[in-house]
Amino acid sequence: MSAIVLKTHGMTHVGKVREANEDAMIVDPRWGLYAVLDGMGGAMAGDVASNRARDVIHEYVRAKKKTLEPRALLEAAITAASSAVHGEAQARRDRQGMGTTLVMALFVDDNKAWVAHVGDSRAYLLRDGRLTQLTRDHTVVAELMAQGALSPAEAENHAYKNVLSRNLGAKAEARPDLLELELVAGDRLMLCSDGLYGYASTDAIQYLMGSTDAPEQVSRDLVDLALRGGGGDNVTVIVVEAGAQAVPRATQLLRTSGAVAWWARRQAFLGAARERGLARSPICAVLSPDEAIDIVAGNLAEAIFHDLEKSTGVNVWTYAENLAHGWFDQGGAWAPLAEMLDLLVGAAHAVVVAIAHEDQALALLVETAVQRAFTTAEMAVGGVLAERLRVTEGELIKAHTLVQTSVDESARFQETPTIPFMPAARPVADLASPEVRAHLQAVAQAARGVVGTGRVPARNVIDAIERAALDPVNATGSAIQARELYGVRALEESGVSPLFDALDQGRAAFVTALRRAGGDPQIAVAVMRRVASAQLALAAALAGLVVEGAAPISERLREATRETASLRAEVASNEARLADLERQYATRAAKPSMLPRLPRKPGGPS
Amino acid sequence: MSLADRVMVLRDEVLDTVERGDGDPPGTDVFDAIVRALAAHGETAPGLDLTLHDAIARRLAWGDTEEVLLADADQVVHRLARAVERALRDPLEEMVVLEVAAEVTTAVARIVALAAVGRAQRDRAARSREELAQKRLREALAEQRATLIRFDRG
Repeated sequence: MSAIVLKTHGMTHVGKVREANEDAMIVDPRWGLYAVLDGMGGAMAGDVASNRARDVIHEYVRAKKKTLEPRALLEAAITAASSAVHGEAQARRDRQGMGTTLVMALFVDDNKAWVAHVGDSRAYLLRDGRLTQLTRDHTVVAELMAQGALSPAEAENHAYKNVLSRNLGAKAEARPDLLELELVAGDRLMLCSDGLYGYASTDAIQYLMGSTDAPEQVSRDLVDLALRGGGGDNVTVIVVEAGAQAVPRATQLLRTSGAVAWWARRQAFLGAARERGLARSPICAVLSPDEAIDIVAGNLAEAIFHDLEKSTGVNVWTYAENLAHGWFDQGGAWAPLAEMLDLLVGAAHAVVVAIAHEDQALALLVETAVQRAFTTAEMAVGGVLAERLRVTEGELIKAHTLVQTSVDESARFQETPTIPFMPAARPVADLASPEVRAHLQAVAQAARGVVGTGRVPARNVIDAIERAALDPVNATGSAIQARELYGVRALEESGVSPLFDALDQGRAAFVTALRRAGGDPQIAVAVMRRVASAQLALAAALAGLVVEGAAPISERLREATRETASLRAEVASNEARLADLERQYATRAAKPSMLPRLPRKPGGPS
Repeated sequence: MSLADRVMVLRDEVLDTVERGDGDPPGTDVFDAIVRALAAHGETAPGLDLTLHDAIARRLAWGDTEEVLLADADQVVHRLARAVERALRDPLEEMVVLEVAAEVTTAVARIVALAAVGRAQRDRAARSREELAQKRLREALAEQRATLIRFDRG
């Protein structure tokens, strides 16, 4: 028989948004049965489904636990519950489609349990301070991730993130995942609905689960955490603790002494905060100096005291979150908040130094607690900031989606370069309004007046820029205009430079006309954006044409070089052959009888 | 803070230094030229930025093609246009930046085009030298062939 003693506590809350609590739970230490169920289905059907499944499972376990093996018992109980919910859903039209998730732990011994789940309610285990998720959500996205079809990042934003792939009630039978678990002293098992982990970070959950508080306090803190995170769903938590987490008496005494020592110096902390100018912080602008010290520094001192006493961080966390929410709600910036936390850290440090003069060990304990408190405060403030950024990001994505849907998709993806170096047309988010088009045409007309009738190339450039600016997605149009401007010209500096001079003159005339035209600055900027873009397209296309014209010359040079090399090789080969023949004749010359008549070179000595 | 300084603040965003590293991302020369032109706006003539000339000539000498240079300039100008649209509150300042960007773009295109013209001229001259060498080689070949024929007959 194990010496482990189980301590359990469960808590459920309707949350801040829902009108009814569709979660249900079983906390039955006598039968070693703990379960969290999260119902779904409109018109209160979710409530019916979770309660019905809870009752069936509870009854089944009580009736059969002594006769069935744990695995068979769990499978049979879950199937019976699913069948009951399914039957009820089929019987009444208004309850069709109802169902429930389930996560349950059945203890067969004090340290041995079976965990079963269907759906996205979860079981977590805290061991040696580390929190591990024991269950894998039965959601479409989680299963795709398990198959490697989705990355975690893709899963986070997936449209089917919350769609369950399994639940109780959809069919008469259910397919639970089962896990056998052996607990050791100090372990904590936690069952919860998605109302907890959907509104609280895993780090924060781990933090609270790791505290030395009793399961009652931990479950309360976890529910508070979810509510502070928005409380958008019903939240249910059951904490099962295996054995009493050993807290040495000496540590407990020391902890209490630390809390007492801190509280005794509360006034010193307030004084230090006052000296450092806490009342001057913009965050305290609406408070009198005394109120600022009492409320802002006083509440923090109290929160640190309670956390030090209970070895937790929830009070400081709550304090910091409330402070940050209040400040950010007023439109406050990050810097004053960070400065105020720094100021309070300085004040707390002054208190620690004072304690150190009397008792080094106690000072060390208080210092550690204070450091932890401020780290917790920073994490909490960071969490508030992150939450607000997420909301802002969501709004931006929504706005962006609205803009995107108003753009013709076929115009956004055009990859038809028709000229060397001519970039593909870019997406144009601000399709020209009639006002912009009209202004652009008027400015082009005025620009023609600026260059006068004499400078034909510059006028041609203005025409080309106008056409390209009025039809910015048509890359082919720009290319054709560039070819027209290029015409037939010598590939020399004297031929090419006038082209770019005309481009500069045309652009300058456009800008001058635009400035003279005045009018709405926003429309003027829109016109300028189009003119700059059109000019860029034309300039790139013209440079491309010049480079294209230069390419055959380089190619002909390469051909000539190859031919020269071939001729050199032939000459070298002939040289070698002649040298060889001359050597042969020289050898024969040593034997006069065999001396042949040497061929005479033309023009040589006779 | 001058307009050039404020545009300089957008450097990381425009050159995407997070993605490419801040050593010398592509398009640095174009962005720097835009900032220089903004700093001296109204006191410079288009296309006379010798630093830009040098930078482009160096990149061509290192083996970057004209296509790459023009694509970098194109990208920098488009990213800059987007960045200033968001970052500058005064539309007139945005116009100044766009105008200067267009000016620098034309300068880049001009430098690239003139570099191509210069290369074409050098290639033409080199080809003439090759053709002259070929003429001499052909004469030498003709002489060698004649000698070889005499050997064969002898």
